[in-house]
Amino acid sequence: MNTLKLTRRGFVGGCGALFVSVALADQRSATGPNRLASWLEIRDDNTVVVRTGRTETGTGMSGYYIQAIAEELSVRPEAVSLIMGDTDRTPDGGYSAGFVYGMSNVRKVAAYTYQALLGLAAQELVVPIDALTVLNGVVSGGGRSLTYGQLVRGKHLDLTIPVTGQPARTDPTKWVGISSLEGYSVAGDPPLKPMSQFKIIGKSFPIPGIPDKVTARTRWSCDVRLPGMLHARMVRPQTLGASLVSIGEIDVQQFPTARVVKQGNLVAVVSPDEWEASRAALAVSADARWSDWSGLPGSDNLTRTLREYPWGKPSSKGSAAEVAKAMRSASRILSGSYEQPYVRHAPIGPYVAAADVRGRTRATVWTHSAQSQGLRARLATILDIPVENVVVRWLDHSGQYGRTTLGGDGAEADAAILSKLTGRPVRVQWTLQEDLAWSTASPGWVSDIQAALDGSGHLTAIRSTYYSPHMFDPRPLGALLAGAPCLTSKPGGFIATEWPYDRISNRFEEAHGMPNLGADSPSGGLRGNILRTPGQRQQNFVLESMINEAAAAAQVDPIQYRLRHTTQPRMIHVLQATAKAAGWESRPSPRAGARALGTQPVVGHGVCAIMRQNAYWVGIAEITVVPATGAVTVTRFTIGVDCGKIINPRQLDRCMKSGVVMGLSEALKEEVTFDTRKVTSTDWSRYKILTMAETPEIEVVQISRDDCGFGGGSEAANAVAPGAVAAAFFDATGIQAHRIPLTATYVTRLLRAAS
Amino acid sequence: MASEFQLNGTQVSVSVAPDTPLLYVLRNELKLTGPRLGCGMAQCGACAVLLDGREIRSCVTPVAAVIGKHVTTVEGLPALWAARQNGNHKSVPTALHPVQQAWIDEQVPQCGYCQSGMMIAAVELLDRIPDPTVAQIKDAFTNTPPSPHLCRCGTYVAIIDAVRRAAAIMKT
Repeated sequence: MNTLKLTRRGFVGGCGALFVSVALADQRSATGPNRLASWLEIRDDNTVVVRTGRTETGTGMSGYYIQAIAEELSVRPEAVSLIMGDTDRTPDGGYSAGFVYGMSNVRKVAAYTYQALLGLAAQELVVPIDALTVLNGVVSGGGRSLTYGQLVRGKHLDLTIPVTGQPARTDPTKWVGISSLEGYSVAGDPPLKPMSQFKIIGKSFPIPGIPDKVTARTRWSCDVRLPGMLHARMVRPQTLGASLVSIGEIDVQQFPTARVVKQGNLVAVVSPDEWEASRAALAVSADARWSDWSGLPGSDNLTRTLREYPWGKPSSKGSAAEVAKAMRSASRILSGSYEQPYVRHAPIGPYVAAADVRGRTRATVWTHSAQSQGLRARLATILDIPVENVVVRWLDHSGQYGRTTLGGDGAEADAAILSKLTGRPVRVQWTLQEDLAWSTASPGWVSDIQAALDGSGHLTAIRSTYYSPHMFDPRPLGALLAGAPCLTSKPGGFIATEWPYDRISNRFEEAHGMPNLGADSPSGGLRGNILRTPGQRQQNFVLESMINEAAAAAQVDPIQYRLRHTTQPRMIHVLQATAKAAGWESRPSPRAGARALGTQPVVGHGVCAIMRQNAYWVGIAEITVVPATGAVTVTRFTIGVDCGKIINPRQLDRCMKSGVVMGLSEALKEEVTFDTRKVTSTDWSRYKILTMAETPEIEVVQISRDDCGFGGGSEAANAVAPGAVAAAFFDATGIQAHRIPLTATYVTRLLRAAS
Repeated sequence: MASEFQLNGTQVSVSVAPDTPLLYVLRNELKLTGPRLGCGMAQCGACAVLLDGREIRSCVTPVAAVIGKHVTTVEGLPALWAARQNGNHKSVPTALHPVQQAWIDEQVPQCGYCQSGMMIAAVELLDRIPDPTVAQIKDAFTNTPPSPHLCRCGTYVAIIDAVRRAAAIMKT
């Protein structure tokens, strides 16, 4: 049994607690004067406080963490509270990129603590540990019972947890310029409660922050107000690559308390009055002169630009030789090319941050970043102050969907630099237009794929190549424009697929990377960044579209066709269960009566699957297409998942349905447009996302298992929608779409060209 | 210049430029954080409040336009419900508005940023149509001027569930 020793710091008067802290083999004592904030505390009022650098991103993480901790400690989940994301109050760091990344840590911390509590109770009750039982934080044995609170009352107990890893630091040698983005990992193997004994995980525990959000008691990052604070509005360059030539004067009659602050190409108007800052920034912007720049290809020329780019050596996975051999002996080879424009995270709330830089040596920054420690490291470098002197405080805000996961992109650098320049606390609120033009985006791509079929229509090999600009450039705009140091990754190919089709023997993948479009400009150009289910969302769309093309070529029902190409029981089960829930009519696509012409609607169904993070997903779309108008309407969507043990069925239901909405939005509407100078899709009328009226009826299938651990239960829900819709479009019209989004413009052009 | 209006049942007076958007007045002068800045151009609904019972977008409404009128934010929904229950504007709220309760019970918010505006839209809809169909809910949240209410997390299905739940509570 792997348990740790509790240490006592003697008795204290009145109250007491058990503090669980990080123990680093090569660092100062975790119990010394400089020790990090404790990870977990058992308090004498029977409450449990847990501190984690990871944050709530809108998926319910704060609920899942509490469930996992309560389960291992055998306490009621209501007894557990979380402090999240503040770098001075949480010890561990790490991504807020999904439950799977952080779950192992909190479970193990709680499990170590549970063992320590059992040891303590065995002493107090004078019975062997094996004779103890625990229910809702009450330990019983030998005819007596004690609460956890009673066990720690009047004592100061320390438990240190062995960890590996380092705090996040800027490091030019590391990916995206930051080391240890994953934070600390708990070492060792404390005994964990078997899934079969779970009482809390698997129940729909209410997500804790929701009542405060509904009653306006949540303090959001946009709500931060500091004494002496200035409101800032940024004056961004006229084009993505412009440099500042001159900036006009503020009209002091009109804007008596506003002033311009600048460093390099970073320009802002600050005022104690937010509305004055907003109006004055517009006036200053109108008078500012910027150098000419037109270094973008224009979004209409994106595909051609990617096709013509002199790509270097790609990343690759699989055996090119084996695939080539299989291709040579194929009865039939199918080829397809697919593409998607730039899309973006597009939260409802634009970036906002506040910073208080004191004496140019200490900084506190209020953020909604999903990577507080990484952001802290980056800001220390930008401000040229020791990382120990930077505190990042996290608050709720609009969902980020991956754009802050690497600890960069955001308004924090703007705020920190402006606070340093003014000597005052500064709050920077981006506008929507600014956010849709200047935040990072998920880069457009093209991909070629070939599939080899044998004489019976079985797939024997698949080869694919993916071409995309940089997808890991989280450098904050403010630092770039100000000329402050900031690091990024090298543009490179990223292969993100997982492979559920073990009966397709040969698979070879290549992925090419190139710099951002307009990379040589002061702003870094169109900075690419990860977006929900990054890389895999795009590459799996290509793979699944080809599987659908192959099924059609083999004249086999697309679900049956998938079943023939996998022996993985979880994949088979979720395919069958989702098909059943959808009432799937088994037949080859396209349907009898498929039409690419006419004013009458034609219907179709389609399927897409994905395997990601120990989870298997299936999406089934039912759509109508009006060929004459190009209107595509999704009428019903069925989504199924096996993500191992389901933690919270109700919240998973919510995340599956909302993930489908985001995926359908991408399938039908989303497209970043730009001319040769700047992004042009800068409001909601030009960057269109799905509305409620366009949301179909959504059915959910959940398969929970006790024998496969935990899997990713939220993220990939978006990724099955575009592939399923594209397949349904083929089923309805007989025409394969090679591009998303399926806008009326694209669809009418496609159908007219085909007929 | 002072602008006076009723905010959540209380008379308030603010001294700001008359073209200041109501949203800025609510957040910065009156310290209410329920309405939030989304687009600043009446395209998303995150800033929605009720003006004399009808939804407006506070990001584009100058404070001068609400002088002498009744503004209700999400913070004022419990009092609005209490007043409706008791027919008395001075009623002390003892419960959340059924729309808020339904939003909690149906676990609607994910990030939650847009949800104050969504609840305002729901309250107005249920005032007009006490028992709306799914089609009427979709229509109200999408086609009511000046713009659809947008949710990027994609909580539309949960919102439909919550509106129907609230309608059922309010009928009884």
